[in-house]
Formats: sequence, C-alpha cells, structure tokens
Amino acid sequence: MQMLHIRLFIGIIGIIFFLATFEFIRKRHLREEYAILWLFTSSAVAVLSLWPGLINVLSEVTGLYYITAVLTIVFSFVIAVLMHYSIAISKIKEMNKELTQKCALLELRVKQLERGERTGDEVERATGLEPATSSLGSLHSTS
Amino acid sequence: MNRRIAVIIPAYNEEQTIGGVIREVKGLGDGYAVIVINDRSRDNTTGNAEAEGATVLELPVNLGIGGAVQTGLKYALASGFDACVQVDGDGQHPPHEIPKLVEPLFDNGLDMVVGSRFLGSAYRVPFMRSLGIRVISVFLKITMGVSFKDTTSGFRALSRPAMEFFATCYPQDYPEPESLLLAYKKGFKVAEVAVEMNYREHGISSITPIRAAYYMTKVLLAMLIDLFRKV
Repeated sequence: MQMLHIRLFIGIIGIIFFLATFEFIRKRHLREEYAILWLFTSSAVAVLSLWPGLINVLSEVTGLYYITAVLTIVFSFVIAVLMHYSIAISKIKEMNKELTQKCALLELRVKQLERGERTGDEVERATGLEPATSSLGSLHSTS
Repeated sequence: MNRRIAVIIPAYNEEQTIGGVIREVKGLGDGYAVIVINDRSRDNTTGNAEAEGATVLELPVNLGIGGAVQTGLKYALASGFDACVQVDGDGQHPPHEIPKLVEPLFDNGLDMVVGSRFLGSAYRVPFMRSLGIRVISVFLKITMGVSFKDTTSGFRALSRPAMEFFATCYPQDYPEPESLLLAYKKGFKVAEVAVEMNYREHGISSITPIRAAYYMTKVLLAMLIDLFRKV
C-alpha cells in the first residue's frame, strides 16, 4: 500500500514534468534539442513509476539491484547535463563577445560615415574584419 | 618615420584621466593614433576621449579588459596599422615611455615588448599582488624556461604578426600573464624593457587582495591548460 502511494506520487510528478516541458516548448521557452531530453526524462519517470513491473525487468537485465547503483546512474546523468550546459554557456559567451566587438566596430563605422570623415572605401577597410578574426569558426582557438 | 602606430586604450569609467593620457600620446607625434575602447563605462569616458581627438569604439556590453583590447586589435589590423601599444587609461602607464616599447619592434625585430616596473627602478606593489606576479614568473621559468619579471604588466607593444595572433586568440578576463605564455608558445620574440610607471591617479586596482586568490587560481589553471593547447 505504502509502495503504491509512493509510486503514484512519483508518477504524478513525472506527468507534471512532462506536461510542463510540453508547455515550455509550446511557448518557445525551450529549444527543441533540450526539449527532447526533458520529454524523454519525464516520460521515463512516469512510465517507470506507474508500471513497476518494468523496473523489475530492467534490474534483471542490468543487474542493478542496489539503490546506490541506481543513484549513481541518475547522478551521472545530472552531471552530464550540467557539463553540457557549461559548455553551451561558454560557447554562447564567446559568440556574445564576437557579436559585441563586431557591433562596436560597425557603430564606429556608421559614425565615421555620418560625419563624412572617411570615404566608404576607407571605412570599409578599417572596420571590415578579416574573415579569420570575425568568424565564429575560430571558437576553439580562444579561451 | 612613416610607421603608423595604434595606441590602444581600454577604458572603464576613466573620464577623469583619459583626456590627459590621450593628450600626452598625441604629443608623441603624428605616427601615433589613439584608439579608445570604452568597455561600457557609465561615465563620460567616450565624450572626454573624443574631445581629445581619439577614435572611440564603444562596446554595447561590458566584456572585460581582454575583450576590449581585442576589439582594438581588430580595428587596428583592419585599419592597416604597423604595430600597436596597449596603454591603460588610468594614467598608470606614462605615454612618454611608449617609444621605448615600440622601437625595439622595428629595430630588433621583436614581436612583443612589455614595459616592466621591476627592471631598474623599485616600484612598490601590494604584497599579494607581488606574490602573484612572482608565482607566475616562476611558472614561466619552469614551463618555458624564460626569465620574465613583470608578468602582469599591461603596458606592451605588439608587432603586426602578434596583433594578428591575438586578434583571434586572446584571454578575456586576466589576459596579461596568459598572453605572455601564448606568445612564447607561438614562438614570438618577446622582451621586457624597463619603464617608469606612475601610481594610480584615480580609482583602485581591479585586483583587490580578496580577489587575488581567485585571480591566481584562474590564471595558473588557464596557463597550465594552455601548455597542452596548440597555438
């Protein structure tokens, strides 16, 4: 009886999690590539708690009888997700830097053109970045 | 001399000192053009710099000194400057010392010339900062086999090849020690030249004793990883 309560509780959490994910995608708060991960995770939680037979089958197949082993797997999953986010943030920070620099260079170019300080050609030469310096393809080479 | 030298001044809330620095640079002669990179200051840094005739690049968001200097490098490269010098906007780096850094680039074929506070004159530095500078110096000695004293000096001149390298690859937060290591790894000819430096006129160092530990950890870690990086 106690087990059933816990299972129901976790199952409901899984379903809420699933619906919330769906809603976030619908409102475009979440990009699809992350959505797949979370939809999959929430479905897994819901299915495993509402259909306990499956978990027994899984533990038979994998040999994972111990709660610590299961916890370790879950913990590794969370760590992997966090690592993925750290990498994504670092990449976004680098892209943000490149955009900020390009923006400042272009703004100066507009100002100089407005003031008539230079001819278009000269300004183009001065603020048109060389491909190697402006391309986001050089992300790996920066720290 | 027909060489065109870009004097890159990264500035963050430096309205009180920037004008004086630019005026002194202009006094060096026509070969020097001043490029100020305003790193999202909240004061009148841009207005005061433009009033002195500097070219001002305004970053729409704060990038930190590395990102600011790199913006200046990109501009100077695209504008066809022959070399550049990085000078602080707070008056710590006396502009009359700039030729001492620039001339060796052309006379001795160097790629990076750093103005040093510790060669010659006895410049006083807070204890924690001095310790950090020395630890980085020892690190460079062990890993690259080079003797370099003023490892955090931002008063430096770069040749065009060095500018091209750092325009694509420059650390964002505390770039000075790390860029030294990268320059040595890249095989650039680096030298340290004795210069006199002023004590800060206004404002305080961006590195307070509390942040020194974090600074050291981050810089040493970054440099350690750089050792395994292909440049």
